[in-house]
Amino acid sequence: MPGAHQHKLASLHDVELAAHAATGERPAFGELVRRHGSAVRGLLRRMGASGAEADDVAQDAFLAAFERVSEFRGEGTFAAWVKRIAARQYLRRLQRERKLAALAAETEAEDAVEPAPEGAAAGRIDLDEALKALGPAERLCITMCYGAGLSHAEAAEALNLPLGTVKSHVKRGLEKLRTRLAPPDGATAEGRRGNG
Amino acid sequence: MADDFERRLERLFSEAPYFSDAEVFATRVERRLDRGWTVRRLLIGSAGLAGGLIGASQLIMSNFLHRVGVASEDGVQVVSAGWKQVAPGANLLASLPLSAEGVWVAVALAVVATGFAVSRMIEEF
Repeated sequence: MPGAHQHKLASLHDVELAAHAATGERPAFGELVRRHGSAVRGLLRRMGASGAEADDVAQDAFLAAFERVSEFRGEGTFAAWVKRIAARQYLRRLQRERKLAALAAETEAEDAVEPAPEGAAAGRIDLDEALKALGPAERLCITMCYGAGLSHAEAAEALNLPLGTVKSHVKRGLEKLRTRLAPPDGATAEGRRGNG
Repeated sequence: MADDFERRLERLFSEAPYFSDAEVFATRVERRLDRGWTVRRLLIGSAGLAGGLIGASQLIMSNFLHRVGVASEDGVQVVSAGWKQVAPGANLLASLPLSAEGVWVAVALAVVATGFAVSRMIEEF
């Protein structure tokens, strides 16, 4: 009964599903794709990929993950593991298309950086909107370090940039995001009151 | 060391955005997995078959069959003689197909079996 099998898969932990997938059980891996597909697609879009490009790379990343699923031992989360694969695949794609060097050199956002909108101060702006204020290099570095969980050194190696450059992209990116994602004063005060 | 804002940023990144076509995406990946698997099985099966055919042709070229035939005829004579001593009335082995066609059929079956066995083994390990 495929329905019952699907139901059984849905109740399994990621590590168990990965173990099943490692034996070639494709429905188990399908369940992992169902659980984490959106996270991977979202990460790639946040790195600057277009919708179609992100979906393409995400599919390739999941196929690559299936090939190597026996390497996943459950030390971290499956989502983090597959996100790292996807981030590296996206960078390789940019490299193939000779876009990586140009992107890594650009420090300003494509559109002129607008001042933080009213909503930012009120904490109503979301992460995707805030990331738009970053230059391509800052966006890549921030997303790789905070979204894909790479260290600065790993990001530098993947981006083929000096470690110092990655660190300064991250620092600048963080400053911009800090302004845009700053919690509203009222909310902070309420939060403090709520915590006693 | 990560400060509060950095931890908040990590949390924001870990929240997956909503995609209305999430199921379509998963189905697409599953379909590509299935397609890749089918192609792989076909390739492995073909490789097993080709290997079996090459092996069989090598056996034929080396006049192996003739030698097997002679050896089996000798063997059958020995076994028949032995059988006649045990049960003089019965001559069951005389009815066995020991012609060249029989050997060819056996070789063909062995090739197919090798192909299946190889593909099965690769699928398992």
